[in-house]
Amino acid sequence: MKKSILLFSLSVLLAAGGISGCKDVLEEPVASTGTSDLDRKALLTQWADTLVRPGYQRAGTKLTALKSQTATFTAAPTVASLQAVRLAWREAYVEWQKVEMFEFGPAADVSLVNHFNIYPTDVAGIRQNIASGSYNFELATAIPQQGFPALDFLLNGVAADDNAIVQSYLASANQRRYLTDVVGKMDQLMTGVQTQWNGAYRTTFINNTGTNAGSSLSLLVNAFSRYYEHFLRTGKIGIPAGVMSGTAAPEKIEAYYHRGTLPVQLAQTAHAAVQTAFNGRSGQPSLKAYVTALGAKDSRTGQSLAQLITDQFVVSAAQLATLGPDLYATMQARPAAAVQAYGEMQKAVRLIKVDMTSAMSVSVTYVDNDGD
Amino acid sequence: MAFGLLILASVVRFWAKGWIAELYLQPRFFFPYYGLEFIRPLGPYTYGLFAVCGLCALLVALGWHYRLAAVGLFISFTYIELMDKSTYLNHYYFVSLAALLLAVLPAGAYCSLDARRRPARWHSHVPRWTLDALRLLVGIVYVYAGLAKLNSDWLLAAQPLRIWLPAKNDLPLVGFLFNYPATAYVFSWFGAVYDLTVPFFLLNRHTRPYAYAAVVMFHVLTAILFPIGMFPYVMIVAALVFFPAEWHERLLARVRRLLRRPAAEVRPARSLVYRPRVRLALLTGLALFFLTQLLVPFRYWLYPRELFWTEEGYRFSWRVMLMEKMGQVEFKVVDSATGRARRVNNSDHLSVLQEKMMATQPDMMLQFAHYLRDYYARRGVQRPQVYADAYVSLNGRLGKAYIDPTVDLARQAESFAPKPWILPFDDEITGL
Repeated sequence: MKKSILLFSLSVLLAAGGISGCKDVLEEPVASTGTSDLDRKALLTQWADTLVRPGYQRAGTKLTALKSQTATFTAAPTVASLQAVRLAWREAYVEWQKVEMFEFGPAADVSLVNHFNIYPTDVAGIRQNIASGSYNFELATAIPQQGFPALDFLLNGVAADDNAIVQSYLASANQRRYLTDVVGKMDQLMTGVQTQWNGAYRTTFINNTGTNAGSSLSLLVNAFSRYYEHFLRTGKIGIPAGVMSGTAAPEKIEAYYHRGTLPVQLAQTAHAAVQTAFNGRSGQPSLKAYVTALGAKDSRTGQSLAQLITDQFVVSAAQLATLGPDLYATMQARPAAAVQAYGEMQKAVRLIKVDMTSAMSVSVTYVDNDGD
Repeated sequence: MAFGLLILASVVRFWAKGWIAELYLQPRFFFPYYGLEFIRPLGPYTYGLFAVCGLCALLVALGWHYRLAAVGLFISFTYIELMDKSTYLNHYYFVSLAALLLAVLPAGAYCSLDARRRPARWHSHVPRWTLDALRLLVGIVYVYAGLAKLNSDWLLAAQPLRIWLPAKNDLPLVGFLFNYPATAYVFSWFGAVYDLTVPFFLLNRHTRPYAYAAVVMFHVLTAILFPIGMFPYVMIVAALVFFPAEWHERLLARVRRLLRRPAAEVRPARSLVYRPRVRLALLTGLALFFLTQLLVPFRYWLYPRELFWTEEGYRFSWRVMLMEKMGQVEFKVVDSATGRARRVNNSDHLSVLQEKMMATQPDMMLQFAHYLRDYYARRGVQRPQVYADAYVSLNGRLGKAYIDPTVDLARQAESFAPKPWILPFDDEITGL
């Protein structure tokens, strides 16, 4: 008796399952038409070959140029050679913004961002390093004493004007050496990362197609959302706008010693790079195509998540643009505008970090979890 | 015995992965359970606690000083489980309950070192209800896990499997199937039917072998698909309790032959008979235990709002793999005297796991808010106010604001009462 009841209820349940299942499959063929966009190996290959490796290639070229201009300048410091090295620094800094988000794999292994772009820079520490002539860029204390922010100070802020800056280099062999060493360290690290990506790591990366913690997609998505949240939203805008501390701190902007139009250009370049990385190229694998193929949408309104993210990026990019032309002046005169831009970026953070990560079912930790 | 070995393996695995340090030593703050705040990690002695737990598990497996070891296992394992909410797992809870039952039941009466050393302790037969108690516990786990699946998200939207399966589409052979929503429906319905019925098929002599094969297949599949650690293996072993004694004896005999040990000496059968008073006490205790077990998962009915959203009454209810829930929460601390506001970087205080778990669970946010209040008060902030700005997505719904950002959590007390500062879900999940 008991068994027959069970069998009966079983068949009822299965039949109901069949009916309801079919109905939904017919209504929503999203995933079944777009399954090629769910090919993670293709997505990873696209990232490796059209974003990461060409990006590092271009950034590496700019660094090489910076290195040679630095050599010219330190060999014969003049106002002209200072301006040349400054221009090379500026171009390398802009190019760096396009690869800063790739802090996974080889870049994460050497903590590339720590060596390249932690600001505000530690002026007292730099002066001490120059005076003593002994320093180790691998130490934790040395993180804010190197990279583009240190160069910002060394090329723009070390003395009152260009003549005085040139004089300071003529007067100090230690200072010439420090400048050379900072650039040398960056060039060495970038070359190492590029070598890895052009060698075995590319294969490792595109074949690790899972979604667990440690899989390529997990590394990529976590790096992407952490970058947008911490480095772009908080670092470039939130901290100088005073969102974190309650008081605006214009001196904490990126490229503070150079100022002018550069800081907002750096932030906008970084934001545009994030948009490019997400949207990809039409018809090619991309995060956007992947999220679209998953059929992720707001079940209350039916809006596609991928489109919501694209649209929100457009809004925050527009807000960011209003902070120009001089980010420093904006932070001083109207930090509220920066707080507003931060707010729009925060909306994007949530869409990426919560909705996109959830839809992609990417793990962030290795620890067991039986369902949130 | 297998149970003891399994727990030992769990402890070793936990240790080997460095999780003791990561989860219980490095964080500055822990999330204790309401009313059990005195249970917290013991600093470096936490390693000792795990060692005790592993040792007790080994002793239980060997049946050496069985009773003491089983009690020790229950206490140490439960203590570990209760140290931090962010590591809550249903199967830890199951292990605790099973250890409690084992501490009370005469599982050391046969095939144990105790029984070998002290023949007076040896019994070939134990009362049937002692085994039935373990079967009932396993049955409750399955049936309640099945009942929890009878809701519109699981059955009608195939959530969260619809999100989780495509993430495994790179599995060999079958991976491509996971791209289709139909697969998620099949899995959802099969999972619900399986959970609801498998204990009954295990009880029946005729269906038992097939049911057990299903148990093994089901749990191996979940082990491949989901990061649920030891749970599948715990259940595969636990379901063995449904097999009759003769089957276990044949298994033991086979193990003996494999180890080239002599067959067990034939002894006259001797039944364990409790004194009437002990028997009454045990049976009353078990009845109360199971009554609690049957009722506790339904305590969510006492809360007015959607269980999956507020998670009021969610834990300790065999709700396994039911939600894809993710969130982000930022805290703002305001100085009451100056009005100066600052934002907290959660990762300065919490581990990655703690942050992730807190981001979807209001009671943990409240605990962290109280910690922040005290932390900033010590650093000279006048009567700190703490506000949470939280955003949570659930089972494929786009995220939405989760906590009322105007409520000062520093002044909200924890209790079992509903939390009015959780914002409404604005959607409905029907079913149990």
